[in-house]
Amino acid sequence: MKKIIFTLLAILFSTLAFSHGPTPQKVQESVTIAASPEKTWEALKNYSAFEKIMKVRSFKDKLMKAKYELIKTDVPFSDYNAQIRVKKGENDNESVVQWTARFYRTYKLNPPIPEGQDDATAVAAVKEIVGPGLAGFKKSVESQ
Amino acid sequence: MVKQKKLSIFNLKTSNLIILTFFLIILYLYFSSNVKKDHISKAYITNQGDNTVSIIDLETLNTLDTLEVGVAPLGITILQKKKLVFIGNVGSDDISVIDAVNDRLIKTIKLGTAPLSLTSNSEETEVYVTDWFKNNVLTISIEQMRVTNSLNVGITPSGIAYNKKHQYQVISNRDANTLEIYTKDHNLVKKIETGNHPFGIYTEGDFVYVANVYDDSVSIINLVDWSTYEFLVGAHPYNVRVHNKVAYVTNTVDDTITIYDLDSKKTIKTLDTGETPENLDLNIKLNLVVVTNWGSDSISIFDIQTLQLLKEIKTGAQSRSFGDFILQ
Repeated sequence: MKKIIFTLLAILFSTLAFSHGPTPQKVQESVTIAASPEKTWEALKNYSAFEKIMKVRSFKDKLMKAKYELIKTDVPFSDYNAQIRVKKGENDNESVVQWTARFYRTYKLNPPIPEGQDDATAVAAVKEIVGPGLAGFKKSVESQ
Repeated sequence: MVKQKKLSIFNLKTSNLIILTFFLIILYLYFSSNVKKDHISKAYITNQGDNTVSIIDLETLNTLDTLEVGVAPLGITILQKKKLVFIGNVGSDDISVIDAVNDRLIKTIKLGTAPLSLTSNSEETEVYVTDWFKNNVLTISIEQMRVTNSLNVGITPSGIAYNKKHQYQVISNRDANTLEIYTKDHNLVKKIETGNHPFGIYTEGDFVYVANVYDDSVSIINLVDWSTYEFLVGAHPYNVRVHNKVAYVTNTVDDTITIYDLDSKKTIKTLDTGETPENLDLNIKLNLVVVTNWGSDSISIFDIQTLQLLKEIKTGAQSRSFGDFILQ
């Protein structure tokens, strides 16, 4: 039994170690805001703090969905596209804001992948934008 | 005495009749269920984020099963007559083969390189695979279930499709902005320029259709006179399918599909999908357009006639299915 588990673990780690390929990465985070979806959506459309990183591609009022593309260049990820959606919360005065980012690592060729150009680095860098970004937006809406 | 005998014969016949009827009903149920199983249309969705394939019954629009495959499954092709599903795993550099009759994984073919997309020849004796990193197109023999040929092609071979009429393999070279067209004996027929970042391909009759991701357009290439035509769609289109002179195109950044009339050269309608719709396939028997939504981990199913959304079904994480993914 031990041998089987060891073999399974060995297979798992060997596939992880050689894991590569043109795989888009995804970071999806949400925050609950104490404001109605309508108010939050209007606030998002007027919010300028994201513009240092990305610019608006489109606002879809009916779906309360905003699309962004990247403008910041010195980042350890590439081909970044994001959307921010405003959804209903548990009651009328609550909304959930969900940020979904899609991107790739910077190194697109065959392994070995140079340090700092891999998937993990890219994901960590995007998380550093998304997490604090949502927190800052929440603060801004709730203080209005 | 005679009367009694007659009665018993009659009784025997009745009971026989009941048994026979019962037997026939069982036989009918057995065969009808088998026939139904054989002809069920199913969608196979590669979930790159959790290494699984979701199997969707397109008649009831319910999930039938979820199978574990290799790491980071992306590309797919289905041998319709042989009922075999080939899945390319870009994380484990292999191909998972699923028997579509009982939906079991029957084989893993090691490649040692990342399979991006797959297609097969008309006879279903060979599957062709684009090898993204080493710029090859690999041939897999179905009889031997192993790689039997490797053809060096232009850089970043992405989409691949097989033209049944001309017996051509058609490949998009994403970073070279070209299409390459090869005979089934692997001789280059033509290399032709496309828009910027060509990716998903569809080919039928004398035409090839390719989505140009960075140009927000689709190129149409005539395989006889090599003339080309381009039409605009939504933002970052990934793939295209055509039926009855209507093109269906996924716009990944807009979360829509464009439905474009190739005769009048006009967009008929733009439909909202789930988030980041990447690929699509059609089922003409059931009048369906099926779209994989990478962003919302789901598929959207539309009626091809009414263009109404019938259902959005949750799949595994990061559903993609690059290629033909419907067992017709």
